[in-house]
Amino acid sequence: MKKYIICLFIIVSASQYGCKKFLDITPIDKLTGNNFYKTKEDMEANITDMYGELFDKYTRTSFAGATGEFRSGEVIPAAEGGAGRSASALIGGHTRQTPNPQGSTDKQNVPLTTVNDRYLLAALATGTPWDGYNFRDLMRWDEYYRVVQSANLMISKIDDGIAALSAEEAKRYKAEAKFIRCFTYFQLVRLYGDVVYYTNAFQKDPLPRENMVTVIKNCIADLKDFRNDLPLTFTDPSMRGVRASRGAAIGLLMNMNMWNAGFDIANRTSYYQETAALGKEIMDSKAFRLLPINEWAKVVKGRSEESLFELFRTLNYNQDLNDPFAQANAYSPFGDAFIHFPYKQPEYTHRYSYSVFSTEYMRKLYPDESDLRLTVWFVAPFDQNASTFQLRKFALNTFADANNPNLDLNPDNTYLIMRYSDAVLLRAEALANLTPDDPTAIECLNLIRGRAVAPPYPTGSGDGNLKDAIFLERSKELMGEGSRYFDLVRTKRVLSKEWTDNPLTSDKFNRGGWTWPISADALFNNPKMSLNTYWIGTGL
Amino acid sequence: MLMIKINTMRKQVILLSIFFSCIFLCKDLVAQTKKVTVSGTVVDGGSKETMVGVSVATGKPLKVLTQTDGKGHYSVSVDEGATLVFTYVSYGTRTITLKAGQTTLNVTLKEDNKTMEEVVIRGYQKRTREVTTGSSFIVSGKEVQDVPVSNVEQLLQGKVAGLNIQLNTGAPGLRGTINIRGLSTISTTGSGNETFLQPTSPLYVIDGVPMDADKASEYGFQQQGPGVSPISLIPQEDIASIEVLKDATATALYGSRGAYGVILIQTVRGNSEVPRIRYTGNFYMNAIPKLRNILGGNNERELKLYQINTYGRFRDQFMISNTPFLADSLNPYYNNSTDWQGVFYQNTYNQTHNVQLDGGDSKFSYKTNLSYFSDKGIIKNTGFDRYSLNMNMDYKPTNRISFFGSIRGNVGKIKKANGVGLLQTGVASDGQKSSLLPGPSFFQATSSVLSALQTNTDAGPKNLNTYIEGRYELIPGLNLTSAASYDYNVDTEDTFTPAAANNQFAKIYSLYGYTSQLYNRNNASYTRSFNDKHNFFLNLFSEMYVKKGQSSITRLERSPNDQFQGPLGYDGYYSRGGGILTTFYDQNQISFAAAFTYDFEKKYIFDLTYRIDGTSNSGNKDPYSKNPSIGLKWNFNKENWLKDIKWLNYGDIRITGGKNIFPVGSLVDIYGRYTPRGFYNNNPRVGIDYGSVPNPLLKPKNVTQFNIGMDLGLFNGKLDVIFDTYYKKVDNELFTSMLSNTLAFNNFTSNDAALSNYGYELSFTSRPLSKESKFNWTVSVNGAWNNDILTKLPAEYNGQFIQFDGGKYAQHLAKRVGRNSLANFLFVNQGVYDNTSDVPIDPVTGFRLRNNGSNDFLNSFQGGDTRFFDANGDYVIDTRDLQVVGNTQPVLTGGMSNTLSYTMPSGSTLSLNIYATYTAKRSILNNALADRLRLLSNPFGLDAVVPVNDLNMWTGLGSTNARFANAYDYAHNAYVNNYRYEQTLWMETGSYFKINQITLSYAFAKKMARRIGLNNIRTFLSASNIITFSPYSGPNPEGVTAIGRDGSNGYPVPRVYNLGFNVEF
Repeated sequence: MKKYIICLFIIVSASQYGCKKFLDITPIDKLTGNNFYKTKEDMEANITDMYGELFDKYTRTSFAGATGEFRSGEVIPAAEGGAGRSASALIGGHTRQTPNPQGSTDKQNVPLTTVNDRYLLAALATGTPWDGYNFRDLMRWDEYYRVVQSANLMISKIDDGIAALSAEEAKRYKAEAKFIRCFTYFQLVRLYGDVVYYTNAFQKDPLPRENMVTVIKNCIADLKDFRNDLPLTFTDPSMRGVRASRGAAIGLLMNMNMWNAGFDIANRTSYYQETAALGKEIMDSKAFRLLPINEWAKVVKGRSEESLFELFRTLNYNQDLNDPFAQANAYSPFGDAFIHFPYKQPEYTHRYSYSVFSTEYMRKLYPDESDLRLTVWFVAPFDQNASTFQLRKFALNTFADANNPNLDLNPDNTYLIMRYSDAVLLRAEALANLTPDDPTAIECLNLIRGRAVAPPYPTGSGDGNLKDAIFLERSKELMGEGSRYFDLVRTKRVLSKEWTDNPLTSDKFNRGGWTWPISADALFNNPKMSLNTYWIGTGL
Repeated sequence: MLMIKINTMRKQVILLSIFFSCIFLCKDLVAQTKKVTVSGTVVDGGSKETMVGVSVATGKPLKVLTQTDGKGHYSVSVDEGATLVFTYVSYGTRTITLKAGQTTLNVTLKEDNKTMEEVVIRGYQKRTREVTTGSSFIVSGKEVQDVPVSNVEQLLQGKVAGLNIQLNTGAPGLRGTINIRGLSTISTTGSGNETFLQPTSPLYVIDGVPMDADKASEYGFQQQGPGVSPISLIPQEDIASIEVLKDATATALYGSRGAYGVILIQTVRGNSEVPRIRYTGNFYMNAIPKLRNILGGNNERELKLYQINTYGRFRDQFMISNTPFLADSLNPYYNNSTDWQGVFYQNTYNQTHNVQLDGGDSKFSYKTNLSYFSDKGIIKNTGFDRYSLNMNMDYKPTNRISFFGSIRGNVGKIKKANGVGLLQTGVASDGQKSSLLPGPSFFQATSSVLSALQTNTDAGPKNLNTYIEGRYELIPGLNLTSAASYDYNVDTEDTFTPAAANNQFAKIYSLYGYTSQLYNRNNASYTRSFNDKHNFFLNLFSEMYVKKGQSSITRLERSPNDQFQGPLGYDGYYSRGGGILTTFYDQNQISFAAAFTYDFEKKYIFDLTYRIDGTSNSGNKDPYSKNPSIGLKWNFNKENWLKDIKWLNYGDIRITGGKNIFPVGSLVDIYGRYTPRGFYNNNPRVGIDYGSVPNPLLKPKNVTQFNIGMDLGLFNGKLDVIFDTYYKKVDNELFTSMLSNTLAFNNFTSNDAALSNYGYELSFTSRPLSKESKFNWTVSVNGAWNNDILTKLPAEYNGQFIQFDGGKYAQHLAKRVGRNSLANFLFVNQGVYDNTSDVPIDPVTGFRLRNNGSNDFLNSFQGGDTRFFDANGDYVIDTRDLQVVGNTQPVLTGGMSNTLSYTMPSGSTLSLNIYATYTAKRSILNNALADRLRLLSNPFGLDAVVPVNDLNMWTGLGSTNARFANAYDYAHNAYVNNYRYEQTLWMETGSYFKINQITLSYAFAKKMARRIGLNNIRTFLSASNIITFSPYSGPNPEGVTAIGRDGSNGYPVPRVYNLGFNVEF
């Protein structure tokens, strides 16, 4: 009897041992969470997806154009572009158009119109002739939260432990996910002000909007200590600027600090100090450099040593060259609205730029015509003439296919998000705010000017005030890279007609007039949600 | 042995089988004493016929020596003075001790109907009902014969209290809905008449092999694949018994899959020393039930013109001359009276044949069942055919070892026209065509007619099932059993739609799918008695499943022509592609279970069961779910103080409680799904799918059940009563909530819903006549009362969730905590305004009560309009006036059966069985009536019109108490929408009493049969779905969906007349 019982016992225990494995089936038809995050390849694919998600969001509309330049009102669409291109003015609160020059290549006068910042709502409406721009996508924040959820999830998985990763790799992926998360929140805050903030994986309970200063503070705290887990920069050129490096994290931290310095007035000194220290760190690291101005094409091609972070695109990865929309909305590159033949093909449909910058604005930025940026980046910069004006900063890698001369493709450029110049100028700005006429600040400013062979501060025309000079330098250097309007907002210069054609009163500013409207979908299933009240109702 | 790896699990099965069967093969040595040869004849006490196949056994433990032969004769060699035991299924056992020198012993056996000695099955072990506590009910194979059906399930309707079967489709080969003890889910899919309740069928265990019966609906009802339920593949003639397990103690041993109840099916086994051949043939007719009345030809035109002339606006009158079929009555194209319904419906004549061969003795027996079943549907081009060959054999070389093996092969063929099984939408819409149009012909017919009639479908499952079981008695009382089965099922579907039926281009659709299940069970059971007072029974077993499945399709639009169905040309633009479907699955499951029973003198019984289930679907964190149960029983008739009461044959009280835990949600629900999303920076992207936020805390569904039952046997078998009352709680029901867009995911699947069912079940069986009477009369009645209550919803819904129906029917479902789980959400219809002055006027705006928010005066109600209840009193009828009303689920269900048989002096038997079912307290929505009245809404349309003069309709001032608004006034209806679907006008009671079947059979006396060389002849006439008594105004209160929608696109249940024979050679 005992014998039998022992036999039975052995059988039962043997089958018990096998059970756990027996029940662990890897479904071959779908990837589920319990068989994902197992290898380094999974991590790579997932993190690539987060960047890809950001890329997709960024390129759904003319993001840098709308949020960075159109909004401040100096961009004037061309009459030849018709209604389809007219909305870049509406975003800037005006309805100016450059008249059709009818073959004339002279400088043109543009009739003035009133400024009404609520034209923005018209630009965001559906069923309009300018649907091609897809500006209404700026009201949707869903996709940013997709990235947030993905990053949160990855961080929690790394915290749970992933056997296939070394400690170094785990730290790097975690820091990279944090960078992505913070970058996403930074984008959200700059667009919408107060936003919903969470870092839990699988967040499912609705949350109210959080004060934006707190959000940025949280992000700074979240990223600060982890930046050192990132590689300083990449030797692999395919990752340089594209994947988060320590330089990207520092650049983001500087931007976030400067943003909060603009709103958290009580603590602004510490933000400036922080920014200045970070600026010193990045400059001392020598990991990044400014390329000579005649190599500018390399910078906009992407992955340059000047790039801190970019959403990378190249035609070489385009699967179908005949489809210019395969990778991104054709209106999404900033340059698209400011160039024509020969930077765009074919000649007979691209004889004019869709928009120009106003002469007054261009004169304000470039009082010294010796600045090489004027010649490298522009054609007829002061003419307001759509047939001659070109902003070719993003057009130096023009794509022309001899076999297909009618192919209408944008030049082969990346989407620059943060550049070394940005960090250098932020450092200068922070220092100038701490000490008037700080010599290091002047040194930083002149570093940027020096590359363009422009007269160094304070010898340039119109150099009166270091802070203003730095602000103008940022507007000049970072034109089309999506920072101008945000600079106006955080430095409160948006309140003054001196700095923008689309100013806000301080009442409008305090009521959130600088934000973008949020789509009403946000109210669904979330009783704690509120929209940006400034934009409720049309008011048109 | 400890190092066995999991992919060698199969090897383990083999090892175990070897272990159980081969190690101990020694035989007992039996002491020899003086032998005598005893012989005699066994006769049936009732019919006085000799009995074939009666087992004759002796010894302790009992050892079967022989069985009676074809003449009821036996002869055995036993010890002098031995005790002989005569047993036969469903007959009382006789135990007779031989007198010294006795060599002849004639025995009379009496049929025994004592419920308590029935053999029931618990956790794959046979037990007598007396010592088990669970609630179950056995339907013998005999009760599911005589009416040919494609799915034997439908004959269980009304036979078991608490088993609610609604035969809601007449489509051949398909199943109705089946629920044991009320609702187990509140999930519905689809919209309008195509809203279906997620099927929660009981677990079927066929000859010891668990089967999935919901397979046919795995593609969703709208896209019914070729799969039919495995139950449809079992010929009814091959069924020996069906046991329905209801409470937790009975089902807990079947674990998770028993959460919705368990139905055990035993097929016939060989049981005759002399090989027998039994033939059953049925010849039957499916008759079209009553269809809709339609106005034909000129009557239709007249009515349409009357509507326009009486109620049309000025422009409508002018439109008549622009509408040729109204104006041009001389045009032969518009001068017809076509019966469109007749185009689709037909009476059909069908036959089934079944041959059963069995034989063998107590050591070896075998059975073969060969069956052909054919059912041509009453809708043309539909039908179901089945061919099956089932064999099994039983081998018991000694009392300690036995083997059982079976193999079942079935081929089903289903024709679906262009419909999808449950629904025949094409037929429904074509059946509503204007009768003025010419009938179908190749040139004239609309393509949908051709599509319904000429679509060529060849579909169906091909199933092969093998099963082998070995048992060995290690030491007395300790039995080891090992069983393995493999089930392989191939579903194919080839559909060819000719060019004329598909916009001039032929199309081809082909599906191939397979499912397989490897199953193993190892069992050890031990019984032990101490002093004949304390009895213990222990049963331990493990179960293992390896399930796989995969389907793929090929589709081709625009194949070259109708003549070539293949090989095919390929049109890159129109090709619709195909490939692997998402139904792929690969699943392993393992379970361990233990059952322990203790009884004291069979008086007090204590049952404990416990089972753990692990499945690869629930992820690796905690793949196990636990199913405990406990049961107590008191056989009070065994108490000394009741022993002398002669009229009490048995009596007991049962109390049981337990849990079945049913894993819900897949790995995807728990962990999320990751999908490739193209490339970025030339690297592949893989990200989480943002459909549903993963819920690592997803809990399995929890079905807790308490049962109190009582069984009584009175007056020596004249009256048996079974009463049960239960409380069933379904916790952790899945509920999907939508999420805020700041959370990126669309929805969240939580466990935050719950519902309860409670109810009572009562069954009576009475045989009022004495056993010696020439008449045998059996009456049984049963009924079940079930209430379901929704007890919980996710907190954010504040106790009410309205499932809005966005489809054309807009009949919403209300899930409100505290009342029945699935209620309707409709406008309350309070009759008809007789006079415009009866319509209330809004004192603020001065407008009459109006429809919608618009201020257009045409939206105001007037005399002859429906009096909708303005719940919020704002003088506007809009969605805020919708109310929660009715119960879509039946509360009372049951059935009754009445069998009267008379044995003639010649020995022939004539018997009559009448069997009926009923359902009460249920609301159904008569959408067929709604559709019918709405046909009047557009006199310019090419739809048929139906006579409505039989309805109590408002016809003008003074039509007080009219129930229906003026349907003729189409122009005004367009504004006020009197015949909207979402109103209580269509909500009617779904109560019915249905005579399911009447069977008249005549069994010839054996003597007469033998004269023509046969053993037995029986012939029977039966009719089924004969008549339904119901206050419901539609055609069939049963032919509605699981949530009570009577659409006009269902498949009507045919009336069946049958002539059948049983012949035994």
